Amino acid sequence: MDWFELIVIPTIRSLVLIVVLLTGFAYLTWYERKLLARFHVRYGPNRAGPFGLLQPVADAVKAVFKEEVIPNHVDKAVYLLAPALALIPALIIWAVIPIGKGFPAVADVPIGFLWILAVAGIESYGVILAGWSSNNNYSLLGALRSSAQMISYELPLGLFLISILLLAGDFSLVNLVEAPRAWWEWIWLWIMFPLFFICILAETNRSPFDLPETENELVAGFQTEYGGIKFALFFMAEYINMITTSAIMATLFFGGYRLPFGIGGEIMPWLGPFILAGKVVVLLFLFIWVRASLGRPRYDQLMRFSWKTLLPISLGYMIITALLVVFFK
Amino acid sequence: MLDVAPRVRKYEILPSLQPPGIPAVAPLPTGESEDTRRIAERFGEAVLAAGLHHGQQVVYIKPEQLVALAEFAKTDPHLRYETLIDVSAVDRSELPVSDHRFHTVYQLRSYSRKQHLMIVCPLEDGDEPTAPSLTGVYSGANWPEREVWDLMGIRFAGHPDPRRILMPENWPNHPLQKQVPLGGEEVPFTLTWEDPEFESLGKQILEAKSAPPKLPPGMSLENMIINLGPHHPSTHGVLRLVVELDGETVVNVDADLGYLHSGFEKTGENKRYKDFVYYTDRMDYLTAMSNNLGYCLAVEKLLGVEIPPRAQVLRVIMAELQRIASHLFWLSTHVLDVSGTGMSLLMYATRERERILDLFEMVCGARLTVGYMRIGGVSRDIPPAFLPHLEEFLKIMPEQIDDYERMLTHGPLWSERLIGIGKITREEALDMGLTGPMLRGSGVDWDLRRDAPYSGYENYDFKVPVANEGDCYARYLVRMEEMRQSLRIIRQAVDNLPDGPYRAEDRKITPPPRAELDISMEALIHHFKLMTEGFHVPPGMAYQGIESSKGELGFFIYSDGSARPYRLHVRGPSFNNLYAISKMSKGHMLSDVITNIGSIDIVLGEVDR
Repeated sequence: MDWFELIVIPTIRSLVLIVVLLTGFAYLTWYERKLLARFHVRYGPNRAGPFGLLQPVADAVKAVFKEEVIPNHVDKAVYLLAPALALIPALIIWAVIPIGKGFPAVADVPIGFLWILAVAGIESYGVILAGWSSNNNYSLLGALRSSAQMISYELPLGLFLISILLLAGDFSLVNLVEAPRAWWEWIWLWIMFPLFFICILAETNRSPFDLPETENELVAGFQTEYGGIKFALFFMAEYINMITTSAIMATLFFGGYRLPFGIGGEIMPWLGPFILAGKVVVLLFLFIWVRASLGRPRYDQLMRFSWKTLLPISLGYMIITALLVVFFK
Repeated sequence: MLDVAPRVRKYEILPSLQPPGIPAVAPLPTGESEDTRRIAERFGEAVLAAGLHHGQQVVYIKPEQLVALAEFAKTDPHLRYETLIDVSAVDRSELPVSDHRFHTVYQLRSYSRKQHLMIVCPLEDGDEPTAPSLTGVYSGANWPEREVWDLMGIRFAGHPDPRRILMPENWPNHPLQKQVPLGGEEVPFTLTWEDPEFESLGKQILEAKSAPPKLPPGMSLENMIINLGPHHPSTHGVLRLVVELDGETVVNVDADLGYLHSGFEKTGENKRYKDFVYYTDRMDYLTAMSNNLGYCLAVEKLLGVEIPPRAQVLRVIMAELQRIASHLFWLSTHVLDVSGTGMSLLMYATRERERILDLFEMVCGARLTVGYMRIGGVSRDIPPAFLPHLEEFLKIMPEQIDDYERMLTHGPLWSERLIGIGKITREEALDMGLTGPMLRGSGVDWDLRRDAPYSGYENYDFKVPVANEGDCYARYLVRMEEMRQSLRIIRQAVDNLPDGPYRAEDRKITPPPRAELDISMEALIHHFKLMTEGFHVPPGMAYQGIESSKGELGFFIYSDGSARPYRLHVRGPSFNNLYAISKMSKGHMLSDVITNIGSIDIVLGEVDR
C-alpha cells in the first residue's frame, strides 16, 4: 500500500462518483417531473431542449445565480452548515456500495453494513439543524417531525438490515452480492422488501412520508427559510438519497450489479455499473409511482404505524430469520 | 404635472333615473300567515307589523323584544326556527324618512317545518345605533353581526367578540353607510416628497419594525402561535388563520378575514340591476352560474316576472353543471391538501372540470366568470353543438366519479385522514347556521332545491344525500353523491328541454332581439331605455336563497323603486360555513386544520365579498 493507492485512486474514484451522482440527481428531477406529469395527464417539462432534457441545466443555472438571501433572524453559522450536512451523508454512503465485480465505489470496507447504518443515522442532522437555526415556527415543526420520524423508522430499518446480515453472515457488501444464495433466501428477502421500502420512504422523507416539508401545512417545512443554492442543496440531498437508497436496495435485494441467474456478469464485468444503474432507475420509478398515487398519513398516524406495526413485524421477522439461519444454513 | 387631489366621485344620477316615487316607509307586509299571527299574538304591542311580503313572512319587531322573539321562534313547538341564516342591515338615510335610520334584518329558517321568516328590527336613532345581539340564541350570529358592525356601524349589545371582521381595525368609516361615497375614500398618500404626510407615512413604510400584531382574544403566548396565511399554500386564497399550537395539537383557531374584501355590496348599490349580474361571477368564482342564478331570482322575485320554461331548464342545466365543476375543484384541492402535490387525482378531477368549462365557453364565451344569466332568462340560447358535447360528458362522468371513489373511498390513507376529523353534531350545525354539504353531512335532511324549489326544481327527481357522522368523511361522501345526483338532474333536464324563448318577452325588462331594432321604433325605444336607464324595480324587499354548491347562497335586496338596488346584501355560504373552523379544529392536529379548511370548501372571494 503506497500513498498512490491510498489517496490518489480513491480521490479520483470519489470525484468521478460525485460527478455521476450530481448528474444523476439533475436527471432524476427531470425523470420525476416527466413521470409525474404522465401520471397526471400532463406533458411535463418540454420547453428546454428536446423532451425538456435541458431543464435540469436551466434549473441549476437559476439556483446558482439567484440572489443569496440570509434572513436576519437565523442562527447564521448553523443555517449555512445545515444544507451541507444534509448533502454529505447522502454522498458518502456510496463509498461502500459495490458497482462492479470486486469493485466497490470507493473502498471495500469490511464493515459496509455498519457504515450504511452509521451514515443513515447522521442524515437527519441536516434537517434538524436547518429547522432549528431558521428560527421559524414552520421550520421548527418540520424539523421536529423529521427527527421523530427518522428515529422511529430507523429502528425497523435497522432490524431489517440485521435480518439481511444474519442471512449473509458478512458485514461486507461486496461479499453479500457475490455470495451465493439459496432460493428460499431470495423469497424470504423479497417478502420483506415492501416493508423495507416503506422504511426507506420514511428515511428519505419521500411522499407519502414527506411530513417534514408538507407543503400544504408547513409551507416548506424545514427549508422554508432557504432559497437559491442553499435550497438546491437540500433538494440535492433528497434526490441523491433516493438514488443512494435505491442502490442499497438493489444491492441488498436484487443482486446489485449482477444480472439475474448469473447471466452475463462473468463475461462482461464492465457491465456491472450499468446493470446497477438500470435497477436503480426501476426502483426510482417505484418512488415516483407511490408519490403519484398515495395520499399522506397524518403525523401521529405515521408514528403509530412505525411503532405499532413495523417495529413488531421487523422484530418477528428478525427472530424467524435467525431461526431459519440456525436450522437451515 | 400629476393631479393627485383625491377625487370624490359621487355617482351621477341621470334625471330620468330618479325614482318615480319613493315610499315614505319601507313597504309593509300585508295579510298574515300562521306563524306571523302566532308571533303577533305573543308579542302584542312590540310587533310593529307582521304579515306576508312577496310571499315571505315578515315581522317588524321593536329592538327590546328582538331576543325574546328569536328565543320564542327557536323554542316554540309550533315555530321551531332552528337556524339563523343571515343578518344584514339597511341604512335608510337616503330614503325620505326621518326616524329609525337603521333597520337590522334577520333571516330565520325552520328546517323541520320548511318555513322561512324575516325579522326586521328598526333601531333607535342615536350616536351609536345599537341592536341586541342574537349570539345568545343562535351562535351562528357571531360573524354576520360582526360584519354588520364592521360595514354598517351598528353595535350589537352583548356580542362576545365585537371586533371588525372585514375591514382593518383602524378603518375610519363603515363603508355601507350611505354617506360614505363609492370609491371616494381619501387615500392618505401623495406623490410629493415634501409633503409632511409622506414624511411620516414613508418612514413608516421604509423603517417599519415588525411589531407583533395583536393577539386574538383567548390566546396566550405560552403556546406556539402559528400564522397560517394569508400567503399559505392551503388556505384557498388569502385567508389568515392564527393557530395556537400545543406541540402539534391545536388549542385555538382565529380566522382573520377581509384580505379580499372588494365591497360587492356597496358596488351593487351603485349599479343598475342588470349590471350587477357580472359582479356576482366574481364573488364565488367557482360557482359563477349559481351566483348569477341567485341574484336573478332575487330581482325577479321583486319584479314578479314570469320566466319561460326553456330558460328555466337552461338555468338548471347550467347551475348543475356548475355544481359538478365546483365539487370537482373542491375534490382536487381537498386531495391536494390532504395528500400533497404529487397525488394525481388533482389532475384527473381538473381534467373533467375542464370539460364543463368548455361547455360554458360554448354557451357564453367565458369559462370562469360566465355572466350567462340575465334578469328574465339567460343571455343567449345554447348553440347546436352544445347538447352533443353535454351528452358525451354525461356519458363519461359517472365512470370518472367511480374512478375517484376507487382511488379515495376504498383506500386506507384517505379514510384514515378524514374519519372523525372536524366533527360537527346536528345541533351544532343548526346552531352555527351551516348550510349545504356541511349541514347534510351532519344529518340534516335539507336541500333548498327540494324543500323550497326555485327555477322549476320541483319537476326533477333526485335524491338529497345525507350522512349522519358530521365529520370530513361524511361531507366527502355527501359531495361525491351530490355530483351523481346533479348528473341525474341534467339528464332529466336535457331529456325534457322545451322549445320556446330563452328569456322573458317582457320588453320592459329584457332587450328586444337585434333584428327587431331595424324595423320597430318601439323596440328601439325599449332598447335605448334598457341600455341607458335600466328598469325600475317596485319597492320592497326580497330574500332569495338558492342551493349553491357550497351551501345556501342568499341575496337580500331592498328596493326603493329606482333602477338601482337601495341595499344589496349577499349571504355567502363560505362565510357562514367558515365560522365552524374554530370549533372543528380545536383538539385536533395541525394537519387537520388544513383538512377542515378543505372540507368546508371555501372561496375567499365570497367569504370576503
